[in-house]
Amino acid sequence: MTSPVPDRRTVVTGLGVCSPIGSELTAFWEALRAGRSGIRRISLMDVSPLPCQIAGEITDFDPRKTLDKKQQRSLRMMARTVQLGVVTAAKAVENARFDRNRLDPERFGVVFGAGMISTELEDLSRASALAASEKSELDLRIWGEAGLREIPPLWMLKYLPNMPACHVSIFQDARGPNNSITVSEAASLLAIGEAHRTIARGLADVMLAGGADSKLDPLAFIRHTLFQKLSTRNDAPEKACRPFDRHRDGLVLGEGGGVLVLEDYEHAQARGATIYAEVVGFAAGFDAAKDGSGLARTIQRALAEAQIGPEQIDHINAHGLSSPEDDIREARAIATVFGNLPVPVWAAKSYFGNAGASGSSLELIGSILALRHGELPVTLNYETPDPACPIAVHANEKRPTTQPYVLKLAFSDLGQCGALVLRIERGANQ
Amino acid sequence: MTRRRVVITGMGAITPLGHNVHDLYQNQIEGKSGVGPITHFDSSRFPTTFAAEVKNFDLAQYIRNAECWKHAGLNTRFALVAAQQALADAGVLEPSAAVDRTRFGVYLGSGEGSHNFRHLIESIAAGCVDQGNRVDYVAYFRRGLTTFVGEGEYQLEPHTTAGYLAATYELLGPNYSCLTACAASSQAIGEATEMIRHGDADLMLSGGAHSMIHPFGLTGFNLLTALSTRNDAPQKASRPFDKTRDGFVLGEGAGMIVLEELEHARRRKAPIYAEITGYGTTADAYRVTDTPPDGRGAIICIRQALKDARLKPDDIGYINAHGTSTQVNDRTETYAIKQALGEYAYQVPISSSKSMLGHLIAAAGVVELITSVMALRRGVLPPTINYEFPDPDCDLDYIPNQAREKRIQHFLSNSFGFGGQNVTLIVSRFAE
Repeated sequence: MTSPVPDRRTVVTGLGVCSPIGSELTAFWEALRAGRSGIRRISLMDVSPLPCQIAGEITDFDPRKTLDKKQQRSLRMMARTVQLGVVTAAKAVENARFDRNRLDPERFGVVFGAGMISTELEDLSRASALAASEKSELDLRIWGEAGLREIPPLWMLKYLPNMPACHVSIFQDARGPNNSITVSEAASLLAIGEAHRTIARGLADVMLAGGADSKLDPLAFIRHTLFQKLSTRNDAPEKACRPFDRHRDGLVLGEGGGVLVLEDYEHAQARGATIYAEVVGFAAGFDAAKDGSGLARTIQRALAEAQIGPEQIDHINAHGLSSPEDDIREARAIATVFGNLPVPVWAAKSYFGNAGASGSSLELIGSILALRHGELPVTLNYETPDPACPIAVHANEKRPTTQPYVLKLAFSDLGQCGALVLRIERGANQ
Repeated sequence: MTRRRVVITGMGAITPLGHNVHDLYQNQIEGKSGVGPITHFDSSRFPTTFAAEVKNFDLAQYIRNAECWKHAGLNTRFALVAAQQALADAGVLEPSAAVDRTRFGVYLGSGEGSHNFRHLIESIAAGCVDQGNRVDYVAYFRRGLTTFVGEGEYQLEPHTTAGYLAATYELLGPNYSCLTACAASSQAIGEATEMIRHGDADLMLSGGAHSMIHPFGLTGFNLLTALSTRNDAPQKASRPFDKTRDGFVLGEGAGMIVLEELEHARRRKAPIYAEITGYGTTADAYRVTDTPPDGRGAIICIRQALKDARLKPDDIGYINAHGTSTQVNDRTETYAIKQALGEYAYQVPISSSKSMLGHLIAAAGVVELITSVMALRRGVLPPTINYEFPDPDCDLDYIPNQAREKRIQHFLSNSFGFGGQNVTLIVSRFAE
C-alpha cells in the first residue's frame, strides 16, 4: 500500500474568527484565557415558546466594519451564515498579510464546511400570507401565481450551501479549487483536510479553509429543536454546555466563523510569512457502529501519517458536543488510542456551543492560540466526571503547554469523522 | 510520489430515463425525452409546469425494509438504490467481498432534502402580521411546534445521504459530501479520484443524488428565470445550443460509481469500465448571478483537466457538455470549448444529456458521466435532441437529434455550478 505522504508541506499562515466570545483573535484568546462563556439567552429573536432558549450568539456582529463599500452592496444577497463567511475570510486574509500583487489568483482556492442555510421568513411571508392563513390550508395555485410576485427574484441564491465559499472567492479573487463540504459538524475539519491535500498535491499554493454557520434564525432553530437533543438549562446559560460532565443534558446551538489560511511551506517562506503551524497528519473515516471504534481508527491513521506517538501530543482538541451519547462515543475512541496515558482533553464548545459547519475550524484556532501563548485554557463546566467518559478532561486550571502537537477531532451524528494533527510554533505575535 | 491509477468498476443510476444504467443509456441513444408534466405537486399556476421526474419509483421494489426510509427524501431513496446497483455491479455489495472496508470510502456531491412545504408556509402564515409585512415569531414557533416533524426535518440535512450509504453498505473509509450546486457530483468524483490516487483510500463510492422538483425548487428557479416555460411542449423545452432555447428543465435522480485503484481492481478481477484520467477544478470568482463573459474559469478548468490527463485537445473523442439549455451557459460553454481546444473544437462531437434528462442539479455530472462511459464502451454517442435552429454563437458539432457511431478513446465532461464552480473530468478507455 502506498502511504499517503504528501509531496509538499502545508503550513498555517493566517487566522480569522467570528465568535460569541470575540471576533478578533486577541479578544477570542482573552475570553478563552479568562474562562468567559459566550452562551446566553437568545436576543436575536423571541424564542419563548421553545424548550431551549439559549445559544452561543454573536451579539455585536456587524459585517460593515470589515467589508468595503462595494462589498457591502452584496450583503443584502447574503444570509447571516454567508455574511459570517465573507467577514471571517477577510479577517484571515488580512491576518496572513499577503502582498496581493504577488498572489496568483488561479493558485488560490477555498474549501469551506457548509450546511443547510435556512430562508429568512420575511422573504416568504407576504407570499405565505396570500397562499395560506390561520383558517385555510396552503393553496399552491395562489402561491405559484400571486405568491411568486411577492418573493425577491434572487431569493434562492441567498441560501445555497455553496454561497459562503462562492462569495469568498469573489471578494478575495480566489479562482482556484472551490468546494463546500456538507458533513454536518465535521464539515470544517474535513474541509481543512481537503484543502491541505490540495496544497500538498500541488494543485494550489494558498487555500482558505474552515467555515461559517449560524443556526440562530427562526427556521434553523426550530428544526434543530425538533431533531437534536438541546440543553434546556435556560436559567444558567453559561453552565449549559458541559462536555463530558456527568450532568450534561444536551448540546447548545451557536454560530460563528473560523477560517485558516493554508499555504505551501515554500510559498510561505518565500514571502516571509508568519508560520503559526504545520499540518502534519490528517485522516477521515466513518464510525459505523457509533461506538467510537471508527473514530479511534481514524485517529490512529492521522497519528501514523504525522509519524508521532501519543506522548508527543500536548492536548486533544475534542469534538466535545455536550450530548449524552456523543461524548461517550468520543471518550471511548480517545481511551482506545491513548489507553492510560493521561493526554489532556480540551473541549472548546464549552465556551460558545456548537457552531455547526464552522465549529471545528473555530475550535482548532483556539488550540493554535493556546500553543502560541504557551498555556491551555480550561474546559468550562466540567464539574462531575462521568464514569462513562474515562478521559483526562482538562478543567481545573490553566496549564502550560508542554508539547508541540495538537490532535483535533470532529464527527457527525451518523459517523462521518476526521482527525487532524498540527505542529504548532510557539510565539505570540499575530 | 507517483500517483496511482483510478478505474471505474461499478455503475448505478435512477433517472428520468430509467432505473438502471442500461435503460439510461439506451433511451438516450434513441433520443427519448424524460420530460413531462409535474406530478409531485400542483404546479399548474407556476410559470413552469413540467419537469423530468423519475417515474414509477418504488423503493420497496429494490431494497428490504423500505419502511425504515419513510421519512427520507427522494434524494436518499434514489441514492440507496443507485448505490446498491453500483456496488453489486462491482462485486463489492456483500461485506464478505474480499476488500478492506476501512479503505472503502464515500464521496457524494449530493443535494439536501426538501422541506415539508405546506407545514412551513402554513407556519409562516400563522405568524404573519399586516399581510406578511412582519412575522410574529412566537405565533410562528407555536404553529411550527405542532406541525413540523422532527424525523422529516432531520432528513433535509445534506450529510445524511452519504452517512446512510456508508452505514447501509458498510463503507468505513473517508466519508465526504459536497454541495457545489450543479457541479457537485463531478467535483465529488474528482476529489474521490484524488483520494485514491494519493492513497487515502483504495475504493470510493462516488456520485450524487438530488431532487429539486418541489415547490421550493420550482419557486427559486422560476424566480431566477432560469427555467424553460415552454408549457405547451414540455418535451421540446430542453434544447441545448438551439437558438430558441429558453432555460433549463428540472430533473431528478441519482448516479453512483465505484472508483477503484487499478491494482486493487486487477487483483480481485473486477470489471474495468474505464479509467478516470483527468480532473480540473476552478472558480469563476466573478458574480453569483453570472458567468464571466470571457469564460475564464471554464477555460482554465478544461485545460487543467487535459494537463492532468497528459492529453492534447485532439485526443478527446467526445465532449459531454454541461449544456443546460440556458442562453448564457450554452454560449459561454461553447466559447470556452473553443478557447481551450482551439481549431479542434470544430471537429469534436459534443452533446448534452440534459436535452433528454433535464438538469439533475447536484446529480447531473455523475449521470452524464455514466452515460458517456457507456458511449465509450458501446461506440455510439448520444445526441442533443430538440436541436432545430442554429445559433451563430453556438456553431460546434452538437450531434443534433441522432445518435452517432464513433469509437472514442477519451471523453471530456463539463459541469459548472451556480456561483462559479467549474469541474472538468476526462475519462479514458482502459489500456494497460
